[in-house]
Amino acid sequence: MNQRDELMEHIPRLRRYARALIHNRELADDLVQDTLERALGRLHQFEAGTDLRAWLFTVMHNVFASQTRRAASRAHYVEADEQQLGQAEFAVPGGQLRSLEMRDLDYALQRLPAEQREVVLLVGLEEMSYADVALTLGVPIGTVMSRLSRGRERLRNLMAGAQPVEKLKVVR
Amino acid sequence: MTGKTNPIGDEVLHAYVDGMLSDEERAHVDQAIARDPALAARVNDYFALNTLLRERYDRVLGEPVPKRLRPAALQRRRSTANWPWFAGLAAALLIGIGIGAEGGMRLGYERTPSVAGSNETGALLADASRTFARRAAIAHVVYMPTVERPSQLGASHEQDFVRWLSAKLGTDIHPPILLRGGYELMGGRLLHDADGEMAMFMYRDAQGRRVTLSISHRKASADTTAFALYRDGPVNVFYWVDGDFGYAISSGIDRPALLALSHDVHEQLRSRPSAAKQPSPG
Repeated sequence: MNQRDELMEHIPRLRRYARALIHNRELADDLVQDTLERALGRLHQFEAGTDLRAWLFTVMHNVFASQTRRAASRAHYVEADEQQLGQAEFAVPGGQLRSLEMRDLDYALQRLPAEQREVVLLVGLEEMSYADVALTLGVPIGTVMSRLSRGRERLRNLMAGAQPVEKLKVVR
Repeated sequence: MTGKTNPIGDEVLHAYVDGMLSDEERAHVDQAIARDPALAARVNDYFALNTLLRERYDRVLGEPVPKRLRPAALQRRRSTANWPWFAGLAAALLIGIGIGAEGGMRLGYERTPSVAGSNETGALLADASRTFARRAAIAHVVYMPTVERPSQLGASHEQDFVRWLSAKLGTDIHPPILLRGGYELMGGRLLHDADGEMAMFMYRDAQGRRVTLSISHRKASADTTAFALYRDGPVNVFYWVDGDFGYAISSGIDRPALLALSHDVHEQLRSRPSAAKQPSPG
């Protein structure tokens, strides 16, 4: 199997990650498309025998980061000001439909700073080791762990309908 | 054990949830959790979050890849010379192996002509069972189990785990036991698509070699029982169809070993059909 075929086999996973990262289906696939195009253009830079998945997610991270910077004013990439979040927005009364919980997950994820969202998803969804996440994002492993710890705790609070601001102090 | 306790740091707690701790560290956290219900609740929530993420987004894996993300479209946009569209598939060697009606394996090799660069690729793609084999090959590489073996269910509880796993996945398809070949059942996952339900069971041996068994409940029943090999890069897939069910066993292990395993699976499913198919009441 050559590298391009191998690359194609990662598309479903890239799409899954992008969908969770951006939520909007079209924009998520845009991200995948940009990633694939860039990756194909730079396939010669990929060292055979190293981890293609980590490399692809690195390419995606770079594309995403530059898009986030460029389109800082666009709603889909904007980080929400957590002060604006009312408790009622996230309160999920018991016995609600499962789909509501799922929609809340989309919403709550978008409330995380992008750098925390990336780590929470690479670990939770992509099941990468912390070392691989560090490699993918180009940050020290300690940074990965602190982003994960803050991001996941915040996600938990958002899902639980708690006031995020108050509890975040504990995590620090 | 004394009452001496080191407080568990947040980062250690997350590493615990993600399975990144050594046995010793894990035991330490286990003890702390046992003592502290609040801590236990938090850990539970973290686990639940990971599960929720997968429940929410794993379905993307089963979605057809949109046209614009396929090689042909990307090629057009990049206007590069030559994209080997499905070269991996085109290069795949397909060997049909006949199985006698009595269930013994007669090895009659029937090699299909090489399809590289020929027009037959489309016809092959259309062939449902080969598509299934290809899916199984990809699944072996791509998917992780959604339900994993609880640590307290050791190898001696294989039968219990089989039942537990099927119940957990919500399917009446039961995975066979491959302990004889040295493979322990590690977990499973259920996929749904246009062809119906596909259950995947992941096995691993002591050396960490992985085998994935895919059982597809096909909508269209076919009583042909052909046994075939599909190869995609490093992954070998043996697949066959038996009535309403399609079976594919995929692994990077060498072909003779995989064939022996496939034999084992086939035998088990034949001799105890209820292991794979629970007769529906009524």
